Amino acid sequence: MTMPMTFLAADPVGNMPPTFWMPEQASTIAPSVDFTFMVITWISYFFLVLVTALLVWFAWRYRVRGEHAEPVDGPTHGTFIEVTWTVVPTVIVVGIFFMGFKGYLQMNTPPQNAYQIDVTAAKWLWNFKYPNGAQSDDLYIPAGQPVRLVMRSEDVLHSLYIRDFRVKKDVVPGRYNVLWFQADNPTPEGKFHWLFCTEYCGTDHSNMNRKVHVLSEADFNLWVQEQGEWLDKIPEDQLYSKAAPKLFPRCASCHSLDGTPGTGPSWGPSNGLPSIWERTSQGLTKVDGGKPLSDLIGPGKEYETPESYLRASILRPGAHVVDGFANAMPTFQGQLNDRAIDALIGMMRHLDEFDAKGNFKGLDPAKTASR
Amino acid sequence: MPPAAAAEDNYLTHGRGILSWALTLDHKRIGVMYMVAVLISFLVGGVFALLVRTKLLFPGEVSWMTKDQYNQAFTLHGAIMVFLVIIPSIPAALGNFVLPIMLGAKDVAFPRLNLASFYLWLVGAGCAVWALLAGGFDTGWTFYTPYSSTTAYQGVIPVLTGVFILGFSSIFTGMNFVVTIHKLRPPGMGWFRMPLFLWALYATALIQVLATPVLAITLGLLAIERVFHVGIFDPAMGGDPVLFQHFFWFYSHPAVYIMILPAMGIISDIIAVHSHRHIFGYRFIAFSSVAIAIFSFLVWGHHMFTSGQSGLMNVVFSAITFSVAIPSAIKVWNWLATLYRGSISLNTTMLYGLAFIFLFTIGGLTGLHLGTLNTDIHLHDTYFVVAHFHYVMMGSALIAMIGGLHHWWPKMTGRMFNETWGRIGCLLVFVGFNVTFLTQFMLGSHGMPRRYYLYQPEFQIYHHISTGGSYIMALGFVITGIYLLHSLFWGKKAPANPWGGKSLEWQCSSPPPHDNFATTPTVGDPYDFSDLKWDPATGGYATAPADGAKTSRGGH
Repeated sequence: MTMPMTFLAADPVGNMPPTFWMPEQASTIAPSVDFTFMVITWISYFFLVLVTALLVWFAWRYRVRGEHAEPVDGPTHGTFIEVTWTVVPTVIVVGIFFMGFKGYLQMNTPPQNAYQIDVTAAKWLWNFKYPNGAQSDDLYIPAGQPVRLVMRSEDVLHSLYIRDFRVKKDVVPGRYNVLWFQADNPTPEGKFHWLFCTEYCGTDHSNMNRKVHVLSEADFNLWVQEQGEWLDKIPEDQLYSKAAPKLFPRCASCHSLDGTPGTGPSWGPSNGLPSIWERTSQGLTKVDGGKPLSDLIGPGKEYETPESYLRASILRPGAHVVDGFANAMPTFQGQLNDRAIDALIGMMRHLDEFDAKGNFKGLDPAKTASR
Repeated sequence: MPPAAAAEDNYLTHGRGILSWALTLDHKRIGVMYMVAVLISFLVGGVFALLVRTKLLFPGEVSWMTKDQYNQAFTLHGAIMVFLVIIPSIPAALGNFVLPIMLGAKDVAFPRLNLASFYLWLVGAGCAVWALLAGGFDTGWTFYTPYSSTTAYQGVIPVLTGVFILGFSSIFTGMNFVVTIHKLRPPGMGWFRMPLFLWALYATALIQVLATPVLAITLGLLAIERVFHVGIFDPAMGGDPVLFQHFFWFYSHPAVYIMILPAMGIISDIIAVHSHRHIFGYRFIAFSSVAIAIFSFLVWGHHMFTSGQSGLMNVVFSAITFSVAIPSAIKVWNWLATLYRGSISLNTTMLYGLAFIFLFTIGGLTGLHLGTLNTDIHLHDTYFVVAHFHYVMMGSALIAMIGGLHHWWPKMTGRMFNETWGRIGCLLVFVGFNVTFLTQFMLGSHGMPRRYYLYQPEFQIYHHISTGGSYIMALGFVITGIYLLHSLFWGKKAPANPWGGKSLEWQCSSPPPHDNFATTPTVGDPYDFSDLKWDPATGGYATAPADGAKTSRGGH
């Protein structure tokens, strides 16, 4: 009898879909984690049923039928049975330990040839940096290749968790923690895997989630190359209109454009002041406990121009903190280059050309006509 | 002991007025004050839990609770339940009342220290209120750095002060119990003639004395970092946040056993007394308490499998963690064997005892998923963990506390509660609890992280079921509160020994006299019920006259 061997070379089959207990299996280690989980779960079912059955049976069989109970005699100890119910659980837990230990060894040992992505976590955003300098807010990874994340935090503890991959590692300020995984199947169009922050980090902890996209190797290479160059390819005169909408989502977790209150000051008109460019260039914003910006910005002062002040606020956010807000913003030093910062300042200057979500809509024709 | 002495002096009538309570050195009154204080805290912590659960009916933002308010609500729920409720509930409230009487003693070894412990608890609780007035805190009950050393909330220092003080309250109780058990056992009560509740309290007290100072030191260091900006845990100042986790869990893992060990002691007594037969495997149960106390100091690292500590440490901590499973399993088998061929009264107290065995089994078995390295990586900091520790800390520790409250209620108050309503309340709590937390295992295994205000709509169905369960449970607790309060005023007078217990507290009247015993009682096997007989005249149990020789007093 010959077994058809085609299944070995078959096209990549889809991932194992969610089950009663577990989410989709989208990484190479997920099946072994789930196997361990289900072994323990079935052992648990067995013992839970056994304990419950004995409990209910004894409680019913030996219940007092009259008004009150009379004391009875029963066995007070039994060496054989006591040794048995000590030894049997011991053997079982030793077995479970080794299953977990073996799975963990695989999980904890990144292969030498892994593709490295640098991860920065901060309240409340993720930044992924690829070897060619490309950056993204969502995580993109190549299929069929081990990926190694080298992770650091700018402020407090965070934890990177991709449930469909069954991987998790805390992101700890002051050290680099490493996490690796391999996903063999590209995510279909319109689908993705959730990435959650699982270490409590304050107000927007539950909002600190991103999407993970697995691309085929060819698609990934194209994507990462495009992502590395897109900013440089934009002509100078279209810098803010083309670049800012792609950059702004990173700011949007704390800053709104329409005055909605957030963790950081809205860029739109808010708290009785005009939008960010006007209130900065007119020196109206108060910082550091009542000091107006006009004390800081101007010839001979700390910042020559409003642009210098805004630029410094992105790179060294703690230097001056706007009144009414906590010193919560992480630095973007090394994440936003000069062109990116130019684009964002351009956006602040031309805020009326953007909608509330940061999409470029151009000048309102009605307004243009009236000017 | 004829029932003629109706107006007999008891500890409740011995001395009147608020000062006679505030300055009392009577362990029974201190126990009762602790119980009232703990139950009020339980009510407050429970309200925060219901607020959190109600928010989670909706996956998005709700107008009546902001993200920050939610973060404060779950933080307060955790901190109140752990530090103000569960840790003191069994040792300081029930233990204080029962322990000296079980030993045939007039009081604990250091009555003044005992009262000081209660006042420290009050100061600690006051600090929690101060923390709220100062603006609250949102750190989670774990106070992980550097979030806790940098958060803008001004309530962090007050609450750290409170937990620090509560730690000393706990240490005082522990020291008192260790000395009392060593020095005040009556003639004839060797270590293996102690009721198992005393073994459990002894093991607990050892942990309280040895582990709690580490928490005090840790929180002290955190306060120093926050106030004086000395870099200890915050890497921005040259500290190490993982160090905080080691320190914190070095206390807080043993603290889990401060919560569960005395609960196991109560269950051993409840199961034996209400089965009216000798406990099975006394020595195995006693030694397993001590074994759990020892292992509890060696497993703290299993809270940190994802922290980036070395893989070798993870493996070692995982291996040691499994050793805790064995003494826990032994206890469950022994309780089941005690039911076998018993004469089981299915009253409210016993229903809580049986509920405990079921809930603790689930809590223990799901601990296997979390002690196992590769599955814990997936489950860590998800609702699976939340469900697991609620099964252990609430489904086990608090259910045992409530079972114990019913068991000793006639002794403490001199009144019997309504059995019908008692069983209804217990059933509602049991069903509500399982509906609430079984669903959370599924939330967690499907990847829903804990401490989340917003969540993906796919999780909503589980949250709906869970919140519904929490309302059923709340109804059960409300009913329980009502019939217990009702019994205080209109309950039937309780006999000395309503259940047929043999440990010494059932030999003095209900409620006990101020000095517990006029003469040091004689001690027998606390689980040999054979000479007890139902006495219709008192509505309780009394020693059978045929075996009268055993009861002769002062025969030493």
